[in-house]
Amino acid sequence: MTVLPAPLVQLAAALGRLPGIGPRSAERLSLHLVQADKQFVEHLAAVLVGARTSVGPCQTCGALTEAQPCGICADPNRDGSVLCIVERPVDILGFEKSRSFKGRYHVLGGKLSPTQGVGPEDLRIAELERRISGEGVNEIILALGSDVEGDATSHYLARRLRAVGLKVTRLAQGLPVGSGLEYADELTLGRALEGRREMSPG
Amino acid sequence: MGLSTLTTERQTDSVHLVHLRLRDFRNYTRLEVEFRPGFHLLLGGNAQGKTNLLEAIYLIATLRSFRGVGGAQMVRQDASGYFVGATIVGTSTSEVKLYWSVKERRLSRNGTPVKRLSDYWGTLRAVVFCTEDLALIKGTARIRRRFLDLLLAQTSPGYLDTLLRYTQALRSRNALLKQHRLDEDQLAGFTQELVGAGQELMRERRALAPRIAPMVQSAFHRIAEQRDALQWEYAPQVDGDFNVALAASRARERTLRTTVVGPHRDDIQLLINGRSAAHYSSEGQKRTLALALKMAQAEHLTEVHGAPPLLLIDDVMGELDANRRAGFLPLLDRARGAGGQVFMTCTEENWPRDLASDLSRWKVQDGQLRRAVADA
Repeated sequence: MTVLPAPLVQLAAALGRLPGIGPRSAERLSLHLVQADKQFVEHLAAVLVGARTSVGPCQTCGALTEAQPCGICADPNRDGSVLCIVERPVDILGFEKSRSFKGRYHVLGGKLSPTQGVGPEDLRIAELERRISGEGVNEIILALGSDVEGDATSHYLARRLRAVGLKVTRLAQGLPVGSGLEYADELTLGRALEGRREMSPG
Repeated sequence: MGLSTLTTERQTDSVHLVHLRLRDFRNYTRLEVEFRPGFHLLLGGNAQGKTNLLEAIYLIATLRSFRGVGGAQMVRQDASGYFVGATIVGTSTSEVKLYWSVKERRLSRNGTPVKRLSDYWGTLRAVVFCTEDLALIKGTARIRRRFLDLLLAQTSPGYLDTLLRYTQALRSRNALLKQHRLDEDQLAGFTQELVGAGQELMRERRALAPRIAPMVQSAFHRIAEQRDALQWEYAPQVDGDFNVALAASRARERTLRTTVVGPHRDDIQLLINGRSAAHYSSEGQKRTLALALKMAQAEHLTEVHGAPPLLLIDDVMGELDANRRAGFLPLLDRARGAGGQVFMTCTEENWPRDLASDLSRWKVQDGQLRRAVADA
């Protein structure tokens, strides 16, 4: 086996720390980079540093943004009385692509996990409560994952926020649109049945 | 496709293991073997690797050892990890690969890594009969719960997911109870999850009881020498509303810092002539009852899936007297008749010659498997 130059090994080690990149891919990428067009690599380095410096969490909602506050928080046309609570900044993207939500968001930054030592103080709940008292919010939509920890976090928030007299809703759980019943697993089907709705008279 | 192939396909509604590959598994350095449907007799002396072979097959079916050991014990001495590969033919063909080492575990089916256990479950169904079965009667409630969970995971879609959810909610809740300052709101959040999954588990376990109890009883009567009355009862620790029971256990769980009530403490009550089988039965009755539980498991699986499970029988024939043997053998015949597959280990001296002659005999010696010559 030939020994790779030290900078190449360093580069591979750094790339290997990225999510989804194993040792093989890291090696392949670093080999590609050291042989690539120098201008391209300089550009890549510049945008990498640039993106990291200019993008950060919105101090209000926690979404990733370049400006403070972010575009959604600053938009006067968004309905400030409805807040949609999500786990991670990326969850906002889905809602925005669907163009079906006109309220604002709040990123929690995770979910309760007693086994991993994540408690309410580690999530952006204090910020949420500050917003609720300051922004005239009257409905909270919980849009967290439906695993045990996500659901427990939803129950927890519902309890804590209802005490303040807010309307708290959560996303319906059920079938993916446009697919047949045969592709739904039992748990999803069970929850879809639980959350069924009366059909409106046509 | 000829007519004969069509008919064979018809018959093989049942699932069977056609190919097994082992690398560094127990005392097998390397093994590559093909199996037909039907009856396989694994003959050999002690410590040659007969049980290890059954253990590997059971591992493919349930992803755990029936000897109750972890992965490290199944790695061949001086090797870093074991590999078990299997080709399973049923309505479709599955190529299963399982690798285990301290650093890495890999499970794939048809080349795709298995992400959710419940997706893998049911690829191969097996029932094992072994000396450890006696613990079902004499052992702790945990062993009987595991039997119940395995049976429900093998027959009720969604049960395994619910069990995993319950276990996770329980673990989280116990972690909260151990914290310095108890956060009531957080506890309530996880309690709601625990109750939801827990009630579902209890409902499934309760629903199984009336279906399995008569099968256990009739299996017991077929092999027992006396007409003892046998009762199987689901004994939930929480009788009634789980929420109410949890609330009532409040003081205790705070002192003990763990969840003290719930389906994780359930049991099965086994009574012979109205008295606890664990305490008031003879050694022979216990053996008979353990065997009856496993026979009922096999019959229930056959009934639910319309095809018999693989039967793995480890050295139990030697322990049975003529009566019980006569009660047990028809089960094997039925499984074989339905196109199923049976693997049975025996020492050379005491293999049951009362079995029909159309069986494959294998000689197991020092981690090698060889086809034995047909009976002279």
